[in-house]
Formats: sequence, structure tokens, C-alpha cells
Amino acid sequence: MGNFFSSMFDKLWGVNKELRILILGLDGAGKTTILYRLQIGEVVTTKPTIGFNVETLSYKNLKLNVWDLGGQTSIRPYWRCYYADTAAVIFVVDSTDKDRMATASKELHLMLQEEELQDSALLVFANKQDQPGALTASEVSKELNLVELKDRSWSIVASSAVKGEGITEGLDWLIDVVKEEQL
Amino acid sequence: MPPLDKRIKKFLKNSIRVAPKISNKGELAELRAGLVSQYPQTRKDAIKKTIQQMTLGKDVSSLFPDVLKNIATNDVEQKKLVYLYVMNYAETHPELCILAVNTFVTDAQDPNPLIRCMSIRTMSMIRVDKILEYVEIPLRRTLQDDNPYVRKTAVICVAKLFQLNKELCIELGVLEDLVSALDDNNPMVVANATASLSEINAMDPTVISLLDLIQSHVSRFLLALNECTEWARITILGALAEYTAQDCVEAQEIIDRVTAHLQHVNPAVVLATIKVIIKNLVQIEPEAKKIVMTKLASALVSIMSTPPEMQYVALRNIRIILEKYPTLLTKEARIFYVKFNDPLYVKLEKIDILVRLVDPTNVKQCYVLMRELKEYAMEFEPEFVSRAIQGLAQLAIKCGEMTFVSKTFEILLDLLESQDALRNDCCIAVCDLLRHAVGNEVLTANACELFSTWPVNEVLLLSDSAKCNYIWLMGQYPNKFGELQDKLSCFIENFAEEEPLTQTSILITVVRLHSKLPGSILQNVLELATNQIQELDVRDMAIIYWRCLSMPNADQLIAELCSSVSPQIENTLDTFTPDVLEKLLTEISSVSSVYFKPQFDGPRNAVHHHNVVRGRHIDELKDLAKNELARKANDDVLLDFDEDEDDLVSPRSSMAAGGPQSHMDDLDNLFDFGVSSSSQNNGNGNDSIDKGVADLNLGKPEQQQSNQQQSQQSQNTINSNTQDLLDLF
Repeated sequence: MGNFFSSMFDKLWGVNKELRILILGLDGAGKTTILYRLQIGEVVTTKPTIGFNVETLSYKNLKLNVWDLGGQTSIRPYWRCYYADTAAVIFVVDSTDKDRMATASKELHLMLQEEELQDSALLVFANKQDQPGALTASEVSKELNLVELKDRSWSIVASSAVKGEGITEGLDWLIDVVKEEQL
Repeated sequence: MPPLDKRIKKFLKNSIRVAPKISNKGELAELRAGLVSQYPQTRKDAIKKTIQQMTLGKDVSSLFPDVLKNIATNDVEQKKLVYLYVMNYAETHPELCILAVNTFVTDAQDPNPLIRCMSIRTMSMIRVDKILEYVEIPLRRTLQDDNPYVRKTAVICVAKLFQLNKELCIELGVLEDLVSALDDNNPMVVANATASLSEINAMDPTVISLLDLIQSHVSRFLLALNECTEWARITILGALAEYTAQDCVEAQEIIDRVTAHLQHVNPAVVLATIKVIIKNLVQIEPEAKKIVMTKLASALVSIMSTPPEMQYVALRNIRIILEKYPTLLTKEARIFYVKFNDPLYVKLEKIDILVRLVDPTNVKQCYVLMRELKEYAMEFEPEFVSRAIQGLAQLAIKCGEMTFVSKTFEILLDLLESQDALRNDCCIAVCDLLRHAVGNEVLTANACELFSTWPVNEVLLLSDSAKCNYIWLMGQYPNKFGELQDKLSCFIENFAEEEPLTQTSILITVVRLHSKLPGSILQNVLELATNQIQELDVRDMAIIYWRCLSMPNADQLIAELCSSVSPQIENTLDTFTPDVLEKLLTEISSVSSVYFKPQFDGPRNAVHHHNVVRGRHIDELKDLAKNELARKANDDVLLDFDEDEDDLVSPRSSMAAGGPQSHMDDLDNLFDFGVSSSSQNNGNGNDSIDKGVADLNLGKPEQQQSNQQQSQQSQNTINSNTQDLLDLF
């Protein structure tokens, strides 16, 4: 009997509780495309996001509340409004945009210093691998100085949102880490 | 106690629910935590509580970013709540609004038309210029939406956008879309597009030519008229009233098509229809006119069976229509008889209408009305009685027949005998009648006989115009009054305190009778009038008379000036000038028809263009204002004796800081006032601009002074309060 109740509560827990995941990155990195790749499994035509998109998706029995925040310079200061209670951050980098790698790195480290994000996991997508001249995951990792990160579970995955490569692998890793921490 | 099954349900609901609840206290920290909760249910509860606090007037604007996070949801209810919040606080957080743009744009493509509509409405409603940059695509899309509910909202949004940013609106070219919406197959859309276009036209008449548009769409309007809601009908009828028919056939057609709406239950629709008919009435054939007139009359009668407030509006409008078509309601006089439970303002209007609509050639009807008014004059409400007595005099003069006048005269004398309190009004009425029946010896003798019996030394009459009339009568028929000198000197004693009308009257009468009175009285009055009276008219008049009296042939000159017989008055009902009347007829069923003040045409909304929230500085200003309010609230708390003494110093400094700010505001107000008054003068064309400017110059220092005085006073009171408190401690 007790077993029955606990399983019922577990179910309710799973249904009601949502994990907040943020997708951040510079403008044009492919955040919105990744979000809708996850949500409907298709490539949608996107316009620059002024503000945010938010979708709820079920993934491996978990309810994920995924927030895709606009990456334009004018909106970046408002990222901080969304940091609270975030389980994980997905940082998307345009692997072909070598000129702005430094900016991306700066934004990433600035964000990770925030008190509210101390416990959240970090997944970096080295996106746009389908395009010629894209840096590899390790090169991006070096550009972003990811090795410097201590006390945080992080991972970098090479991906192509347009072709759908690497997205699920990255998310699988993220979910495993988050599950361990949260449940 | 609720039934058992309901209690069980409630218990189960509460025990199964895992999501934490929000308490009723509504503390900001708790609400904030709830808004970002992991549980959707908690978030929704928190939003509800936040809105609750907002409607109670508590400032929950600091939760803006957290509430905004909940805007993207599939729950229509929650979405509506968040939109409500965003609308309310967008102006205090203009830069955060940009975070909602994406959601607005997405929502404008939502499969649910309610959400599409909500998004575009909110977007054009938020007066933040950053949002306006992104309005183009959603607005264009919703204007072409296949759901009429969305389209009818979008057309209104064009007008809103125009108000907020005219240049952008023209640049986007949505005005063309708006014009083509006039051809929409949904009548609601047509009506809203019309309303939107007329708003835009009122803001800036140069952008679109509304009249041409109306002209080319008359048949469309007439078609749509029967299918749409009452308020849409009013809009369309309003547009039709702007249109002048080409010939009598078209005018007749328009009248035929709209006549059905005269029987609508909504009085606003009826009045709007009447406006259209009156506009076209001048053009149609005389025979057809008669039929239309009877229909008009019955429509006007029907709107008299509404609640008193609407009756009042109807009566004011009828008053305008009657001036154009005096015989319209002659047969319906009974409708306008006063009922005992009518409010006073309706009663007064009814008497006015009754006297106006009566046919002066129909003596029988006049007698009926006279008896009715006589009954009214014996009621107890002073204003009503006074208006009834005035009505009697107006009626007698309108009718003009001698026996009728004498009959009215008798009634007035009877009333005078019954009640002393009616002296004021009866005196005016009798004098009016005497001025109408010039040369009627019997009436004059009777009136003077009665008036001269009134005791001299007590306060005879109270109102200015009653005194004026009484004194005029003494001047006119000095031989019929006994103790003339005593009576006059009684008035002269209070000369300086009297109102201008009475002063003038005393002055004229004394000059006129100077040969009959001792010279000292004349001297006295002239001196008083020239030395002690500020009123320019009285003083100038006194100076002129004095000058005349000092001329060599003074007696002859004065006799010439004063002995002229005043003309017989034919009508004591006030009328509009022809051009005002024509304007008012085109503005029936608007506010101007209630106040009898025609609208000033021209760009009247010039001020509204600047109220978009732009950038930071307005925000800062608002904060300033808020702080000031907070400080003032502090002042109130001080009076509760709860604060520390240290705080007692602050209100003074805050007052000092608040001082210049309030002066600025006053100055701003002053400017607004000045602009409007001078432009009004401009529009009327009656007063020259110079006068307006002069008014402005005169007005400014005075008002400023008074403002300063006020603020000084308030400062004084605050200071004295704090002083008292200090003493207490």
C-alpha cells in the first residue's frame, strides 16, 4: 500500500515539477533553432528573438521548461532576470564565427560568476558544424577557456541544429547530470 | 456546511496538490518566489494574487520581470492575466517590455483568434516606443486575418498607433489597409474602420480625406447598418451624418434606409439616426418631409420614456431641434408635462421645452399650458417654481394676445398674494409683461399699485435682476409710486454692495428722475459710482451722465437720453445664432449638444502626440514623482504621533524640494490652459487673438500668485503641525 502511494506521488512529482533550462549565447548562434529542434524535431525559419521563447518538453519522463533568450547586445543584460532556479544552462556558440569567440567567452564566464548559477550544469554546443570552416569542439573549448571551469559539471558537444546532429547526445548528458543533482 | 461530497472533493484536491500555495498576505517576496516556482499551478496562483494586489492599488511593479516570464503559456486564462499586468505597468518598466516582444509577435500568429486579438491589442496599447518598432508585422498580419474578430481589433489598433507615432504609421502604410477595411464584408469591421478613420481625421485632418472616403462608401454603410451591433450602428450613422447627399433622390434614399433605426431601444442609436435624418431633411420634397417629420416626432417621444439622465440629454437635444423645426412636437406637448417624481434638472428642461413647443397661434393650447404652469408655480421646490413663473411670462409674451397677457398677469398677482417668497420671480415676470404690453394702462396701474405697497425698509428683493426690474419700474412710472424718495434712498444706502445690474439701474433711474428728487441724492449717487465702484461699466456710465449734467443744456439732454420709449419685447426665449444652430444640429447626440457649445474644429488632440514613453528620463521623472508621493504619505503618518522626532525635520525639506516641482506643474497647466483658450478664441472668430493673449498675460501673474500663496499656506500648516508635535514631545 505504501508502495502504491509513493509511486503515485512520484508520478505527480514528475508531472508537476519542471526543470528550468536556459539556452543562451550570442545572437545568431542558433538558439531558437535548437529549441524547436528539441520541441518539434524540425527546422523552423527564425527571426532574431526580441525577448524570449519558452517551450515545455517531456524528455525521458522529465518535464523540461526550456527558455531560449534573445542574444542581441541590447537584451543580454536582461539574462540575469532568468537565472533564478535554473537547473542547467545550454550555451550555444557559432563555431564558424571566429571573430566573436572572445565575446562569447567573456559573456559565458561573466554569466557563470552569477551566484544563482553556481549549482547549474553547463552544456556547450559548438553549433553549425555542417558549415565549412567550423572549428571543432576541442578548438571551441580552448577558445572559450572551458578548462578553467572548476566545481561545475560541464561538457562540450559538436552539433548541427539544422541537420539534427549532436543535439540529443548533448541533452542526454545534461539530463543525466541534472537528474543526479536534483533527484 | 457544504455537502459531504463537496468537502471530500476539496479535501482530496488539497491533499493531492503538491504545488505550494500562496498565502493571502500578498507579500512581495512570497509572490516573487511563487512566480518563478517550478510548479505551474503555483505560478498561476501567484499571478492571480499579484493581479489582486495590483487592483487593490498596491505597487507590485517590482515583480515585472518575474510576471513577464509567465507570458508564454498555452493557458489562455493565465495569458490574459499576464497581459493585464503588462498593460498596467509597461509604462513604469519600458525597457523590460522589450522582453515581451517575441511573445507578442508569436501570439499574433496563434491559432486561437482570442489570443491573436489580445496580442495586437496589447501591443498597440502599450505606449513604449521600443515596442512600436516591432508592431509592423503583427499589425499587417492581423489586418489581413481571416477572423473578423481579429480584424475589427486590428483596425482600431491602427488609430492607436497613429496617435502614438504618426510618422511610423504613415511609413508602414497601414492606413491604406485601414481604408480597404471599409470594403470588408463584415459590418463590425466596417464600423470599427470608420471609427478608427474618424479618430485619425480628428487628430490630423491632412492625412486622409475622410469626407471623400465616406462619400465613396455610403452604399456600403447603408448595407452594413442593418447587420451590426448597436454601437457599430452609432459609428456608421455618425459617418453618414457627415455626408451631404448629392440630390433629393439620394437624400430620400438615405432617410428611407435609416428610418427603421428610429425605433431602436438604444436612445443613442435613435439620436444618431435623427442626426442623419435632420442632415438630409432640408433636401427632400416637402410632401415626403411631412411624413418624416411625424416619424421624427414619435422617435423623440419614445426617447422620453427613458431614465431621467437620458431624458435630460434627450431634452437638451430636442431644444436644439425645436429651434430649427418649432412645430415638430406641437401635438406632443402632453409628453413633456412634468411628473411629480422627475428630478429637478429634468423638470426645469421640460418647462423650457413646453414653452418652446407651444404653437402661439393656438390660443386654446396656450391656455392649457398656462393652467399647467400655474400648477407648477404652486409647488414647493424654489428653483422649479421660479422657472415656472418665468415660463408663464415667456408663454404670455410668446402668445402675445392681450386677454391672455392680462390673464397671466392676474395669475402672477394671485401668486404674489399667496406667498411673499415669490416676489423676486414675480417682479421680473411682471416687468417683462409690462415691457411687452407697452401702454396698457390697466396692467401698469395694477402692478404699480401692488408694488408701491411693499414696505420700504425691509429687504425687499434678493436677486440682482429682480431689484433691477423693480427700480426700472419706479423710473418708468414715478407718478404711480408713493414715497418714491424713501424707496430709492433705501437702495442707495447699499449702493456699493449691490451687484452691477442693480447699480446701473439705480444710476439710470436717479439721473432720469433728477428733477423730482433732491439734488443731494443725485450728487451722492454719482460720487459713489465714480469713486467707490470698481465695475468699469457702472463707473463709465456715471462719468458720462455727470458730464451730460454739467453741460449748459443739461435738462434737455437728459430728457432726450432718458425719455426714449423702450421697444416692445416680442420674445423672451433665448435663441442660438444661425451658425451656432447649424453646427449644433450636426453635433446632435454629442456632448456639445448637451452643453450647447459647438465643438471647436481643428486639431484638438495636439497634446496627445507626445505621450509615448521614450527612454529613461521620463522614467526618472516618474520616480521623482513617486518619491514625492511617498514623502507626502510620510507626512500623513507623522500626524499619528508614531514617528521618531528625527523624522520630523524631513517633511520641511521635502516640502522645499517639492515646491519647485509643483510650481513647474502649475506652470505647465497654465500653459495648457493658455494655449487652449487662445486657440478657442481663434476658432470662434468672435474674439480677437489679441484679447486671448491679453487674457493670458493677465491670467498668468494672478494665477501664479495664488499658487504661491497656496503652497505657502500648505507649508505654513505643515510647519505649524510639526511645531505642535515638537511642543508635545
